[in-house]
Order: sequence, then C-alpha cells, then structure tokens
Amino acid sequence: MTALSSTLRTRDAAVDCAGLSVGYGRPALAGLDLSVAAGETVALLGVSGSGKTTLLNAIAGFVPPLSGEIWLSGELASGRGRLVPPERRRIGMVFQDHALWPHLSVLDTVAYPLRRAGAGRADAHRAARAILDQMGLDPVAGRRPGQLSGGEQQRVGLARALACAPALYLFDEPTAHLDASLRAQILDEVARRRATDGAAAIYATHDAAEALAIADRVAVLHSGTLVQTGPPAAVYAEPADLTVAALTGPMSVLHAQVRAAGAGRYAITVGDDLATVPGTAAPAAASADPGCPADPSCPADSGPADPGPADPGPADPGAPADRAILVRPDWACLARPGAPGGVDLPGAITEVRFRGPHTDYHLATPAGTLLIREPGPPRTDRGPVHWRLLQARLMPALS
Amino acid sequence: MRAVTVSRAAAAVVTACLIGALVAVPLESLARIAAGGGLAGIARALTAPAARTAIVHTVAVAAAVTVVAVAAGTALALAVERRPARSRLLPRLLVAGPLAIPEFVLGFAWSQAYGPAGLTEHLTGLTLPGLFGPAGIIAVLTVYGVPLAYLAVTAGLAARADPALERAARTSGAGRWTTLRTVTLPLLRIPLLGAAALVFVTAAGSFAVPEVLGTPAGFGTMSTLVYTDLALSAGPAAFTELAVLALAMVVLVLLALGPLDLWLARLRPAARPAAPAAGPVGRRTAGDRAVMAVIWCYAIAAAGIPMLTLIATALTRGPGLAPVPANWTLANFASGLSGGAGVALARSAVLALAAAIAAPAIGALVAGLARGRWRGPLATLVTLAYAIPGSALAVGIIIGYGRWLDGSALIILVAYVAKFWVFGHRPVQAALDRLPPGLTRAARLSGARPAAAVRTVVLPPLTMAGVAAAGLVFVLAFHELTMSTILYGPGTETFAVVIMNTQDLGGVGATAALALVLTVPVVTVAALAAWLSRRTSFDIPNGPGSP
Repeated sequence: MTALSSTLRTRDAAVDCAGLSVGYGRPALAGLDLSVAAGETVALLGVSGSGKTTLLNAIAGFVPPLSGEIWLSGELASGRGRLVPPERRRIGMVFQDHALWPHLSVLDTVAYPLRRAGAGRADAHRAARAILDQMGLDPVAGRRPGQLSGGEQQRVGLARALACAPALYLFDEPTAHLDASLRAQILDEVARRRATDGAAAIYATHDAAEALAIADRVAVLHSGTLVQTGPPAAVYAEPADLTVAALTGPMSVLHAQVRAAGAGRYAITVGDDLATVPGTAAPAAASADPGCPADPSCPADSGPADPGPADPGPADPGAPADRAILVRPDWACLARPGAPGGVDLPGAITEVRFRGPHTDYHLATPAGTLLIREPGPPRTDRGPVHWRLLQARLMPALS
Repeated sequence: MRAVTVSRAAAAVVTACLIGALVAVPLESLARIAAGGGLAGIARALTAPAARTAIVHTVAVAAAVTVVAVAAGTALALAVERRPARSRLLPRLLVAGPLAIPEFVLGFAWSQAYGPAGLTEHLTGLTLPGLFGPAGIIAVLTVYGVPLAYLAVTAGLAARADPALERAARTSGAGRWTTLRTVTLPLLRIPLLGAAALVFVTAAGSFAVPEVLGTPAGFGTMSTLVYTDLALSAGPAAFTELAVLALAMVVLVLLALGPLDLWLARLRPAARPAAPAAGPVGRRTAGDRAVMAVIWCYAIAAAGIPMLTLIATALTRGPGLAPVPANWTLANFASGLSGGAGVALARSAVLALAAAIAAPAIGALVAGLARGRWRGPLATLVTLAYAIPGSALAVGIIIGYGRWLDGSALIILVAYVAKFWVFGHRPVQAALDRLPPGLTRAARLSGARPAAAVRTVVLPPLTMAGVAAAGLVFVLAFHELTMSTILYGPGTETFAVVIMNTQDLGGVGATAALALVLTVPVVTVAALAAWLSRRTSFDIPNGPGSP
C-alpha cells in the first residue's frame, strides 16, 4: 500500500487534488489531498453533507477552489488562478437525480456529447445507437426522460457519460434513489464499463457495502476532510477512528481492560474472563494523512500533511488499560458448546434479526452491547449465551 | 355519494353564475352592440382612419415592448438567478419594484424627469427624444414588462431548470453559450412563451401610459381611442364604433393567447418538476459586480430618477423652480387634497378593500369546488377574464349593467372583481394543488366531519395564500385607472381618476403630490405582501456543505 500511494502522488494520475479547499465561510472541503491513478476506481464514502458532491463539482470544474490545485492527467485544471471549464476536462459525470434533459429524447441525450465533440447529426446518432444497443436501451431510444423508469433513467445517464469517452468518470451517488435490484444492475454496468475502457472513476456514495464492493480504494470523507484512504479490506479492518469505523460498515464498540500480549495479540478482559485474540491498534490520534495511515515509512514528498509518529499501542505494552474495542459483526461468534480452543465469554442475546443469508444477534455483554452476524437462520433465541471474540481493533481512547 | 353530486352541481351553478355575471354579460353586451350595425357597420368602424391607426399603434407598441422586455428580463434573470441565494433578493427587488408604482404615476414621473423642462433638462440640458410618442410609451411599458418576464423566468428556472441539467451539458462538452442555447432556453420555452403573452396582453391593454405620453403627441392606441370616443361619443353610431373597437381589443388579445394556449397544452407533458438545487457557492466575481451594476443603473433610470423627480416636483412651489429647500412647500398636497380628493381617496380604499376581500373569496370558492377535468379550463377562463383589456371590459360592463348600476360605485367594484379575480383564484388554487392528497381523508379518519375537515386541515394552509392574494388585489384595484375612468360618474370618482383629471387641468405640482399619496400606501402594501409571501415560501438552504 505504501508503494502504491507513493506512485499515485504524481502529477500523471488521472486526478490529483493537492491541498484542495473549497467554499468560503465554513469551507466545504479543507486541505484535501486525493490522487486517483489511471484505471483506478476510488469510492468516496461519506454521509450527506460531508463534501462528496462538492469534491466532484470541484473536480468537474463547476466550483473554483479556494486554495490548492486539481490536476487532471498531468494537466493543471484548477488552482493558481486557472480554471479549465468543465467542457474541456474530458470527464463523464453520472448525476444523483439523473439530470436528464426533459426536452431531449434518449437518443438525442446520448448523442449530445458526440455532437458537442463535433460529430455530425447522423454520425452522432449512429454512435449513440451503438452505445444504447450495448446497454440494452435501444427499445427506449425514442422516449423522453419522463417516460422512463428510474433504472432506465440512470442507465441513460450512464450512457451519456460513456458517450463523452472520458478519461475520468464521476459518479454522484448514482444509485441513491434506486431500489436494490436496479442498484445491483447499475453497479454491474459500471464495473463492466470500467473493465473495458480503463478510465479512472470516483464513485461517491454513502453506502458502505457499495463502496467496499466497487472500489479499488475507499476514501472516507468526513466534514470536508479525508479521514482515511485505503483498500476496501484495510479500511474495513483497520479504520483510523470510530467515525471511519461507523461509516465503513456495521460494528460494535466494547469497553474493556486490554493489555498487549505479544506480536499482534491482545489480552482483553470481559467480565471475569480473559480472551487473547489477534488484533490491531489504531494510532492514538487520528492520522492526519489519509494516504498512509499509521505508516512511518510514508514517503516525504506527500506534502505537508505527513502523519505524526504512529502510536505503537498502549503506552506501556505490559500494563492493562481501559480501551475502546472495535468489533465487526463477523469478528465474533456464538460459542458452540464444547468447541475446542478459545475462551467462552458471558453475554445474553437481547434481540435476534433474521436477514435471509445471515442472522444478526444483539448481545448484552459485561463490556457493552455487541452485534454478531452468523450465516444461516437463527440458531438460538433470546437469553444467556456464550460467545467468542475472534479479532479486535483497539481504538483511540475517546477524549 | 349524493353529497358529492350535490356539491358538484352547486359548484357548476356557482361557477357558471360568476363567470356569466363577470365575464359573459359584458362580452355579450359588447358583441350585441357591435353587431347592431351589421357587418357593414363593423367594417366601417374598423376601417375608420382613427381606428386603423389605433390598431396598428397598439399592435406595434405591444410587440416592441414584448420583444424588448422578454429579452431584457430573461437576460437579467439568467444573470442573477444562478448566483448564490444571498445575492438574489436585492436584484429581484430592484427589478420588480416598479410593479408597485401605478402606471399613470410612473408615466407622469418619466415626463417630469426626462421630458421638456424636466429634471434632466435642468441638470444637463438633455431630454429623452421621443418621450412623448411611441418610444416613450414603449420605454415605460417595458419597465413593467421586464419584471413580468424576469419573474416568469425565475419561476421557470426554479421549477424546470435544475442546475444539474446544465452541469450535465457542461461535462458533455458544451460551453457556456451552447448550454444556454441547447439546454437552458429550451427548458424555459413554456415560461418564456407565457411571459411573452402576459407582457403583450398587458402592454396592449395599457391605458394610462399611452394617455400620459401618447395623447399629448397625438399618438393614439386602442385604449386611448376608446376613452376619447366614450368621452365625445354623441350618437348611437359612435357608440357602435366604440363597441366594435373594444371587441377588436378582445379579439387581438385572444389571437395572442389562443394559439399559445394550444401550443402550451401540447408542450406541457415534457415539463418536469425539479427540486430547485442549490447553486455552487463562490466568491463574488467581477461578473457578479457587473450584473449588479447594470441592474442598479436600470433601476435608477427606470424608477429611481423619475420617482425622486416626482417627490421634488410635489415639494416644490411651482413648475420650473429649482427643487431646493428655499422653494419647498406642502402647498401642493393641500391644494391637491382639497375638494373631493380626500373623499375619493377614501372611496378608492373602500373599493379596493372590497375587491381584495371578494376576489380571493370567490377564487377560493371556485378553486375549492371545481375539481377534476373542469379545473384546467376554468383556470384558463379566469385568466382570460384578466386578459380582456380594461377598456373593453369597462365598456361591456357599462352596456351590461349601466341600466341598474349607473352612477353607483358598485359598477366599479364589479369591474375590479371581474378583472382581478384571477389574482384571487391563482394563489389559492396553487396552494390547494400543493396540499398532499390524503389530507382530508386523514382528517376524516381522525374523526372530523366533512365541514370540520375543510375548516381544520384545508383552510389553514390556504390562509397565507389568501392574504397575499388579497394584498395584491388591493394594490391593483387601488392603482386601477383604465376602467375607473370609464365607469366613474359624478360623485363616484376614484382617487386615480382625480389624479388624472388634475393632470389634465395642468396642475403639475398637485398631480405629483397626489401621485405620491397614491403610491406610498401601494408601495407599503406591496412590501407587506412581498414580505408575507416570502415568509410562506420555503427558502432553500445553500450552505457550503450542500450534499
């Protein structure tokens, strides 16, 4: 990951935002650094109001930066008094509410970027038809947006972005208003497209599952700052702080006495029992540099936002300390009677939710409430139970 | 089931009676008198030189005003409305402000500011060439047309042109102007056509501005000709010609609106109500400052200088004297308000108040009762009643109701309600349309009887709309000159009529003083109504962290 982030910090990336601040008064984005390599898909994950749309609008050239720069494929696009207009940025954007022109047919909509690029009417229509064919939209080519279903509208929006033949796609919550099956369909479409044309993509979403599934890298945005960037598995397993943890998937937070117990293992006291499990520890303060969390070998050229010294864990590895412990629902399991190994911890099931492929168990434990997710239908009902901790991440003590 | 049928029938009867009394009777009266002379009579009336000239003048002036006002209003709206929300209120007020000034007052103020012996001649030796004549009429009417177009485009931008649609065009490779041409303007087609029709109808029906600026130069329009003919009409033949001319105004307006209405009906399905999205927040740029400078210059030239001149004229002892403190006096107010002016002022206020209560009440009644397929045609009909030029409507009302109401102020009230009904109907109808469909059902299921459901859940949300509508109707009725000047009799002069007669008699200072008396309450009420409607409308938060 370190090597990757250092190569991405070049001006040849598809997008390179450096020290980007947008908006005045309370800035919508403050000192943001983000690089996306050619061919890479980055999911921009954050709640609404975190600055996702602002960042996309800044990259698309609709909003001038207050300070900082945006480079597109090695060319300075925004910053230093320069603002390349949106139509010259080779960006294909898919909008949250589709943004389909009500006065144009589907065919004219998809032909629109081709016409702007200088194609004649007949040529543009021919090329647009080819795109519509590929996407299975040819039956609706003559329709107006008002006559399309939500999923069709979003696919037309995608087809229009494709017609721009962009070097970079920007997706602004494209599935936010679609139901689950259409959502999957659109995501498949996006993934297939991206595999064939090799363009870079930034995919803004507030849905953790979607972000983890679609992206090469996840960038977590909170209040206008990137709080963490990394591969989906890393962001899920090693969130920098509880904000990131909450944004990147379901979780529980336990509070317990913890002490280090050798390489990557921690001894955790729950009630009267002591479980020793593999785990990681988040740096004491949230890392300032999103590119390389808690990594002292991060290259020096990554700008002013270098990480502070990483926290190796509790100040004295041997001494027990009260810590907040992040537990993902798959990092714990209900104990099967008589199963070998591990320590059975006490608890009581307060709620059971069957969710189809898996079942959620809500437990009250001496260390706090805990969510456990296990495959299959419910195995047990409410009541006292034993559970095992498989993995943990120690979070910075809450100030 | 039976209750529904009964209320349907009652709705039909009430609506038919109202429309019959307020619109059909006057029009039928006009048509009857006009047809009295047979086809030959109609042909003779229309080909009389004065009538022909007036028709040509009216069409030319209205067309010119429409072109200039729609172009300017659209350009201003596009320049302003894509800016951050906080910088929009001032330009909107500057552009729309003149709507609160009566036409007669603004026309007179322009003549005092830019005419011979006017303020600009005092200061710079310059006058506005052609102020008395078509150019001046077009200029002043454009001041009223620009805000109509501006407001229509503003509403259109909010309802139809989601900024994301323009952004989609920009990322698709379209530049600023191409986006305007291929996306923004096509999206605004319907509001633009509506604005053009409204401006044309308003300009074609205007009486006060051509009367103040055209008549002295011998430039007549249809409305001034109707007025003059009525004042001078001696015999039945002259009256027939008058009716033909009035009817021709109605036909002209219908010609402008009819095809448009059909076209709009065809276009309507393409409309897509979009949630108005917050624009990008940016720093105030040089472009913003230039736009504001243009708007300030426009507002100062169009209304600021004329109204200041009016104030100076009202406060100065005699025409031609410099408006310096040594020459200040309140004598103009005293002389203007002597005689019957005070009574006329009170009469105008009472009439306007009555119309302001009646119009929204009738509007609510009709809007509330008429549902389903009758809603659209009814709204069109009510709008058409407004489109009938005041001169024609007033002549029709004289013929239709003069027998019973002649010499009574009631005939003026009938005219006001007929003309301004639409402003009571529209906001109430719009507020009704905004109500979620399940509202009364939820109230019924919660235990309310039908009447109680209407009273408790339907009427409260309509109150604000009704109050705003009443304010607007009050202002318009208080301004009203065209119909009042045709319908008044001895002892029923309205205040606006008194002002016009004072001006006719040459009392410049007194006219200015009375014009201020007329304008100040109007501006106050308009500001109040604007404030109220602003409070009821939802402001779009435009924070920097917009999602």
